[in-house]
Amino acid sequence: MIPSTLRTSLICILIGYFIFILIFLKKKAISLKYTLLWLFAGFCMGIMVIWPQVLTWIIRIIGIESNMNGLFVLAIGFLMAILMSITSIVSRQSEKIKSLVQHIAMLEKRIRELENDHGVES
Amino acid sequence: MKSGKVLLIIPAYNEAKSIESVVNNIIQNYPQYDYLIINDGSRDNTAEICERNHYNYVSLPLNLGIGGAVQTGYLYALKNNYSIAIQIDGDGQHDIQYVEKIIEPLLKGEADIAIGSRFITKEGFQSSVSRRLGIQILSKLILLVCFKNVKDVTSGFRAVNQRFIKIYAENYPNDYPEPEAIVIALVHGGKIKEIPVVMLERENGTSSINFWKSIYYMIKVTLAIVVSRISFGVRRGKKI
Repeated sequence: MIPSTLRTSLICILIGYFIFILIFLKKKAISLKYTLLWLFAGFCMGIMVIWPQVLTWIIRIIGIESNMNGLFVLAIGFLMAILMSITSIVSRQSEKIKSLVQHIAMLEKRIRELENDHGVES
Repeated sequence: MKSGKVLLIIPAYNEAKSIESVVNNIIQNYPQYDYLIINDGSRDNTAEICERNHYNYVSLPLNLGIGGAVQTGYLYALKNNYSIAIQIDGDGQHDIQYVEKIIEPLLKGEADIAIGSRFITKEGFQSSVSRRLGIQILSKLILLVCFKNVKDVTSGFRAVNQRFIKIYAENYPNDYPEPEAIVIALVHGGKIKEIPVVMLERENGTSSINFWKSIYYMIKVTLAIVVSRISFGVRRGKKI
């Protein structure tokens, strides 16, 4: 079903993808926690390239006739899941930043008052 | 630092024009109250004015929005063992003379939270028709999900006791927090009382909410009310 040239090029792209992730990991540009998500995505893509029948099987189960449409639906679904998790990460981080800002501000106030009490020149 | 019992929390974002008159009024006429200005990352010289006048203030390094700023005040109140914290706007809308009336039910133990309400005696600045309609819708929504009638749900003039200082220090909504904060109070079993006050028109600047923002506001706050009610689903049905 998938022509072998396409399969070979897809596998090459996939390998490039994994190398890319590894470089990011090595540079510590993405923390391992969040890489897992992308590694999992790559893993799924790998399965679909090596055993395309898995893909057709899933697509039939969902009830989509065309293979390409099915692939798009799955891909969009996956992207949405990743975006959702990123939104949740961002939200959690903004809560943390809020808390940090509040505590820094209160510490700054304390330092300012201590300096004033002890007559330290700031 | 004074160690009084009542803390006035004054969030200030770009309030350089009005902050001095508000705070000087408190210092001169109401020395029985402590106050804390929270400079919410203002881009004007609010911070310098506070520093120059040796006000009691904290200065947030970033702009957190009204919710985060007010919460800082509750954190401060919690750390310094205040028994009552009361929010006052930094723009001169709230008349400090009503503080005494608002904290009275808390001192008597009749309520956990007291809200200064424009709509009980319907005196003073009443806001526009459309805004009142929005407030009424939110008020009815809160009545629907929490069985409690609060008329002025957007009033930022409110006092809370020690128990709710702690609750709000841990959990306070971020933007447009007033109606949601009421729901948080209600699901924690808080007793809310509304006190009639007369609000003034803001001294400087306009309200931060325009037409498109008001639509966003209604959707966001409605959702927030429903969600914060549902997240405490365990207590559902318990008459508060």
